[in-house]
Amino acid sequence: MAGARRPTAPPDTGEDTGDTLLVVRAAEGDEDAFAALVRAHAPALIRLATRLLGTPAEAEDAVQEAFLSAWRRLPEFHGQASFGTWMYRIVTNRCLNVLRARRPVAPLESAGEVPAAEHTTSPARITEARDAVRELREALDLLSAEQRACWVLRELDGRSYEFVADAVGISQDAVRARVFRARRCLTRALGAWR
Amino acid sequence: MTTHTDPPEGAHADGDDERLPCGRPLSQVWDDRERRTDTPHLAGCPHCQGAVRDLEQLETAVRGLREETRETSAYDAEPLTRRVMDLVRLELRPGCPVPLGDPAEDLWIMETVAARALRSAAETVEGVRAGSCRVVDAAGAVAVRLDIHAPANAGLRQLAERVRQRVREAADRELGMVTASVDIRVTDLVDTRAEGREGDTA
Repeated sequence: MAGARRPTAPPDTGEDTGDTLLVVRAAEGDEDAFAALVRAHAPALIRLATRLLGTPAEAEDAVQEAFLSAWRRLPEFHGQASFGTWMYRIVTNRCLNVLRARRPVAPLESAGEVPAAEHTTSPARITEARDAVRELREALDLLSAEQRACWVLRELDGRSYEFVADAVGISQDAVRARVFRARRCLTRALGAWR
Repeated sequence: MTTHTDPPEGAHADGDDERLPCGRPLSQVWDDRERRTDTPHLAGCPHCQGAVRDLEQLETAVRGLREETRETSAYDAEPLTRRVMDLVRLELRPGCPVPLGDPAEDLWIMETVAARALRSAAETVEGVRAGSCRVVDAAGAVAVRLDIHAPANAGLRQLAERVRQRVREAADRELGMVTASVDIRVTDLVDTRAEGREGDTA
């Protein structure tokens, strides 16, 4: 979907030198500096977590825990990445854990092999756009945690394969594989499958 | 990283991909679509065209979902920030105590608390923003090492001297702390025309 992609700005695009100072200060225990970082980065991270998990309430919990984890780990954060990118990774991993805990592993593997729905041949499948979005939202639950994370970061958040691989901690090939499986599963679930 | 739910092989490995009735792998058709590569085959193949249509239908739904979850400007970060900071303040982060007053007084202050006051003092000098501030015990007095971002057009020597002065005063008057040394390190020069983001430091 490269052509249609409208990448959302990376969380660190607008990062000024102020962020660097705040991170240093927060790492040295300055709570006000950390509060400023939370305030600045929360909206983008909430959006990411909502896309990954599907519900705002779960997203808030995940982001809250991610920030707490970041506060604990800040003294070891040496700015290899920007704070925004670092938080993006922490939130992604937090959400992955939530997704993994949602349901047993076994059925996930077969998610990509969901048989074509019976209604696919019905002409009534020409649905309103809103129905399609709702169906897509529901279909996301068919994906494995890893497929969902890779697909959301790639397709909804507009990240490069390289960025997704880094955030999820797997190879680019593995990301491509998961995105492909996710697309196949989702196209089927949307009733478009031949 | 747990990968057992997904074998790590590439998407295009046999068994994972799917061949369309025309013989083309589905992954390739979609890859071509993603790269906007129009092949002569595609123009005449109903199977490939069908696969592309499926993907386009998905893309339409994706755009809708993306729009639904795009609204971040409306997100009020304050309640979350408050909850996070309430938890943060409960965390006991170990810090170092540094001496206050005379060595004989046996009075101490946590480094983070002293640093907060000294950073604020440094930032009373126009255009200065404080970063790392380490306050360490130096035989009964304290040695301060402060990193600052300074305005690009400032005379750095005089600026550093003013910062040092403010830090010494604050240490003495606000904290009652005897400073053995105040080292200032300019870690960045900031274009003052781009200033006006003081709100960032809260």
